[in-house]
Amino acid sequence: MVEPYIELDDVSFAYERCAPVIQALSLKLYKEQFTAITGPNGSGKTTLGKVMTGILRPQKGRVIICGKDSADMKLGEIGRRIGYLFQNPALQIFAPTVREEISFALELKGYSKEEIDSEISRSLKNFDLVHRSDAFPFKLSRGEKQRLAIAAMLVNKPDFLILDEPTTGLDMERRRVLSDILLGLKKKGIGMAVISHDRAFVACLADRTIRMYGGEIVEDRT
Amino acid sequence: MKTGLKGLDPRSKLVLVLCLSTLGVFIQDIGILTAVLCASIVLSAASGSRLFVLIKKFRRILWLFVAIAVIQSVFAPSGRALVNLGGIKLITAGGLYKGVAMVLRMSIVMVSATIMATSNSREIVQGLVQWKVPYEIAFMVSVAIRFLPLLTDEIKNVVTAVQLRGIELDRIPARQRLKVYSYLIMPVVSGAVIKSRELATTMETRAFRAYPKRTSYMVLTMNRNDYAVITTSLVISILTLYITH
Ligand SMILES: Nc1ncnc2c1ncn2[C@@H]1O[C@H](COP(=O)(O)OP(=O)(O)OP(=O)(O)O)[C@@H](O)[C@H]1O
Ligand SMILES: [Mg+2]
Repeated sequence: MVEPYIELDDVSFAYERCAPVIQALSLKLYKEQFTAITGPNGSGKTTLGKVMTGILRPQKGRVIICGKDSADMKLGEIGRRIGYLFQNPALQIFAPTVREEISFALELKGYSKEEIDSEISRSLKNFDLVHRSDAFPFKLSRGEKQRLAIAAMLVNKPDFLILDEPTTGLDMERRRVLSDILLGLKKKGIGMAVISHDRAFVACLADRTIRMYGGEIVEDRT
Repeated sequence: MKTGLKGLDPRSKLVLVLCLSTLGVFIQDIGILTAVLCASIVLSAASGSRLFVLIKKFRRILWLFVAIAVIQSVFAPSGRALVNLGGIKLITAGGLYKGVAMVLRMSIVMVSATIMATSNSREIVQGLVQWKVPYEIAFMVSVAIRFLPLLTDEIKNVVTAVQLRGIELDRIPARQRLKVYSYLIMPVVSGAVIKSRELATTMETRAFRAYPKRTSYMVLTMNRNDYAVITTSLVISILTLYITH
């Protein structure tokens, strides 16, 4: 197969003053594969996702993104390539209105007003947030926050997505919609790693399933 | 004092900290201030605080201390000029003296405060309650202590989230910078408001203030060490203040 998009090489990570969560883990993720990461609570899935995105820096080993050692990359530089959805979406919402949340990155990147407007309306429609466009993001319901966080991430057009339990808090209908959206992105060639307990959701999307237990990969099935 | 300062009652620590900071604030002489600072450092280390970890963490704002000393000396010139710049006495002996004293004072207050941080907030509340401070006020103090680290976590989260949108914080155009900073503050403030509302509801569902009297499961008792520490710190502080004034 071609070059891996994200490669972990002998990575160990421990939280400050705690026992290591991940030890000597090596893993290659490809853009062409939809990878599902499963495992029981506390098995280190979220930690692994944050290490892959450079939010947490490993004490040992290297994380290579697009052939470049991520230790030399700023978080902003990684953020332009990789979209990361927090397990708790409330943590990545910060603008005063739903609309501004989506336009934030676009404005800073100097898009024109027309481009931004069309992007916003498309995104609001895709994620069924049109009626909430002027709402205060902190007052949205859990599922609405989740959709907003995903929408705000996707307008950046990342090459690779890492989603930490994207279906928690979504109802059946929204889950189906998200599944369709992810399928569409996959067809467009965007790589994805999805951390999820939702077997039914993952089953129809994943090409590869990684099972974690106690910070180790115990199963890697393609 | 076999056990050192580690097993001390929070009230004894409070007295100790108050004495040290009082000395820090009222004493003018640099020599004595230095001695008080040394004493604070020794006591803080003896109480098992993470002083050196904290110093490492605050390494980056140490220059601020130096800046304060310099500013102090520029705006309160007196005595012999040490550095002259175009006829303006930039740094004077008297000003420098005051600046150094200022830095020593701030260090004393901060170092002695780390002694307090070795008690958990529950103990501090109980100490205050047994000193007949109303429980509501004692509880508010503990909530404030408890929430402070959460706030810094929250700011870190937002900074991460902004960067993950592909924004490099040091490359934001100046025009937009203020807006981005307001984005950093907003979730923290509204998060704090939401959390405190939730906390209030939770407390009421658990019958906070439903009865006029509270019984405490935890009861603090002072032993000989505590009385020794309290008396020693009070006597030494009063004597020092008496002699220097
Ligand atoms: N900030 C932290 N500080 C210290 N330890 C942590 C921290 N976050 C997580 N841990 C510990 O690391 C281990 C792995 O946690 P992690 O969140 O990665 O698990 P997870 O697989 O995502 O679980 P879940 O299914 O509940 O989301 C756990 O034992 C947890 O207690
Ligand atoms: Mg998790």
